[in-house]
Amino acid sequence: MDKARLCFKRTWVTALVFVLCFLAMPGPPSRAQVHEIRIADSKGDWGYPNPYRHYPRGPGYVRMSWVFETLVWKNDRGYIPALAKSWAYDPDRRAFVFDLQEGVRWQDGQPFTADDVVFTVNYFKKHPYKWVPTDAVAAAEAPDPTKVIIRLSRPYAPFLAYVGGTMPIIPSHIWESVADPRKFDVPEAFVGCGPYRFVDFDKAKGTYLYEAFEGYYQGPPKAKRLIYVKAGKPLIALSTGAADLANIQPEMAGVLEKKGMVTLKNARGWNKKLMINHRIEPFTHKAFRKALAYAINQQEIIDKAHQGFAAPASFGLLSPDHEYYNPNTPNYPYDPAKARQILESLGYTKDPSGFYAKGGMPLQVELLASNITVAGEAMPDRDGEVIKRQLEAVDIQVDLVNLEQTTTDVRIRNWNFQLAVSGHGGLLGDAMVMERMIEPGSTSGSVNSARYDANEELLELLKAQIQEMDPEKRKSMVYRCQEIYADELPAISLYYPDSMAAYNPGKGIRWYYTKGDIALGIPIAQNKMSLIQD
Amino acid sequence: MVVTFCLAALAMIYLSYALPRLLPGDFVTAMYGSSQVTLSAEEEAELRAYYTQEPGFGSYLLKLGNLDWGYSYAFLRPVAELFFEALPWSLLLLGSAHILSMLIGFVTGVEAAWRRGRLVEKGMVGGMTVLEGIPEISTGVLLLLIFALHFSWFPAAGAETAYAQVSFMGRLANIGHHLVLPLATLILAYFPGNFLLTRNSMMMVIKAHYMTTATAKGLPPRRIRYAHGARNALLPLVTRFGLRFAFMITGALVVERIYAYPGLGTLLFNAIQARDLPVIQGVVLMSSLMVLAIILSLELVYRFIDPRIEDASSF
Repeated sequence: MDKARLCFKRTWVTALVFVLCFLAMPGPPSRAQVHEIRIADSKGDWGYPNPYRHYPRGPGYVRMSWVFETLVWKNDRGYIPALAKSWAYDPDRRAFVFDLQEGVRWQDGQPFTADDVVFTVNYFKKHPYKWVPTDAVAAAEAPDPTKVIIRLSRPYAPFLAYVGGTMPIIPSHIWESVADPRKFDVPEAFVGCGPYRFVDFDKAKGTYLYEAFEGYYQGPPKAKRLIYVKAGKPLIALSTGAADLANIQPEMAGVLEKKGMVTLKNARGWNKKLMINHRIEPFTHKAFRKALAYAINQQEIIDKAHQGFAAPASFGLLSPDHEYYNPNTPNYPYDPAKARQILESLGYTKDPSGFYAKGGMPLQVELLASNITVAGEAMPDRDGEVIKRQLEAVDIQVDLVNLEQTTTDVRIRNWNFQLAVSGHGGLLGDAMVMERMIEPGSTSGSVNSARYDANEELLELLKAQIQEMDPEKRKSMVYRCQEIYADELPAISLYYPDSMAAYNPGKGIRWYYTKGDIALGIPIAQNKMSLIQD
Repeated sequence: MVVTFCLAALAMIYLSYALPRLLPGDFVTAMYGSSQVTLSAEEEAELRAYYTQEPGFGSYLLKLGNLDWGYSYAFLRPVAELFFEALPWSLLLLGSAHILSMLIGFVTGVEAAWRRGRLVEKGMVGGMTVLEGIPEISTGVLLLLIFALHFSWFPAAGAETAYAQVSFMGRLANIGHHLVLPLATLILAYFPGNFLLTRNSMMMVIKAHYMTTATAKGLPPRRIRYAHGARNALLPLVTRFGLRFAFMITGALVVERIYAYPGLGTLLFNAIQARDLPVIQGVVLMSSLMVLAIILSLELVYRFIDPRIEDASSF
């Protein structure tokens, strides 16, 4: 009897230990460790987070990217799988083949299939989403529920950056009956298969609320709630704990580091540049544009207007941090004597006032300047003042006109300017940015494009490099483009401002700048993978 | 008077329709000009056709008659919805700033005038004159640095902690907590002017014969100060209050920007940057109509405060 009781007791103890061990075993990985993450920015309002309603700026796209997924994505090391677990280019079929993840669900519980990708491609062809150029896409097909083939109408090297890594996939069961996507604003318009559900956008306060999508195919996100708040002073927002992540001015970095924040500095992907109206005299002359380049001291602009927080730009447009950067790009070191020599070789002589003149007409140029938004933050600008003094130091008279940004944009857009300080990013993304920022025909809406058509070789190379699928051959073409561009100087790149962010490491999230920047080149340290991957 | 105000309202409606159209650029340029997205000529033309509404003044007027203010280009939402989302925050901040600064300015102005010639009065006049000359932006940044950054007593931005999970009373306390610094900035900007105006006005009233009569009748000093003196010194302050209140839509833009406080000033500022024409028109129209309405109300209030105006108009 005692033996039986002992045996019974042992069995119970064993069972109990087994149950306890089972309970103590780690379950499926759960990342929802923090209650919420707050991200601050100074503007707040970037539109509703769906493809047709967000503002066409980086912060608008990023707000949408929490909800909608792309086929591939990027982290701090490069391309990574997203809805496609693998992909390959098939040159025989001139098509990209994507093998899709299995078990993916939309936020409304419906299963995601290859048909949704095909639908998205067709829908964007019919109702263009301006971030994704679909003119090189001939058709998409789904041979089975986990495979998509996207055929190209012509070889298109930037496909992965501009389509695969930027195109948000939308659910066919919701969008198939939507005739005007811009007016589609019911709650279903914000159903994606990304890590966060969109909950609210307060237009007056400029705040956004997202909640973790527990059914996300890569596992639940690390924060249950994601909140964007509007804060005029990121230094105070971070210091007081009102925000966990914010873009910062470089001079704030030291203070924030002392307070225990982690600061991040992005690679050189955004450039300030001097736009030149090369369609009017005297800017039609390449030699005159070179004189301007020699007269401008990039480092002085950086030191005086930006307290040293920037790096001199390459005259070939692409960033030195870009994989296709040509180190032999022609350079124009500051040389006022050479600038004067060129001006005199063009027939300019000093008039009694000490400035250059030609044919009795003084050499007088108008320089437009305005505050420019960088990564969603307004950047104070004294560049115009410094450039004016530099040009006047080589005896060119300068009228500096400070205007509001849109007014400047309109004047540049309509060729109603001589010189203007402007700027743009995307210099770490695909080399297609060169075509977009130089070629005259394809960039009707951009005010940052040089729109230069005076060099046939450059125009042909810009087009050809986009269609070259061999990376090495393409690289050599892009090298040559930079050489020609720097020689022609249709615009003068000035500097790359330090792009910085800071975050609170106490929340256990590691934020980072994306390699090649987010999607087609958004220089913001708000990659959704920070809340997904360790 | 009603006819005059109606004509003025019509003129303002026309100006709100016509003036924003003179801004250089349009929504498509403002939105896409410097964006990551580059457009083909066809895409740009399509966007411009979609967003450019060119209703004549007649149809604009007709739509206004139907309480249709149009749709925001940027949000693709009704302008009225945006306006009424921002209005309560403007009313809360500017309304309370005006009322408090008027009350404080009025009482301190009356008391200072009553103590004319004394050290406290001279000190207050000197201090208020200095304070009157300090712009809101300086006061705002200073308060922000001291009380938000250094002491962390008050929040630095917003009207409330976004999406805080608190009770109704907790939310009210949170809103009040966020209101302190922007409100203090505005009070410090408005109150010195009210003080100086009341004090000067009261100085004139104190010399009036009816004040001597009231004193001779042996009335308590407080009653003499407020019932007989201050009431007659109130008129210029009411005028100032009304005019300041009329400009409340754009009046707090600087403070709204410093404290990232929501309001109509920010709505208008963002709309101008984005060339969101229907929103600019809506806000400009409402603000100008509010100016008219307040001026009309002031006319009525004057008659109540100072019956001599009513009597004078009957001659």
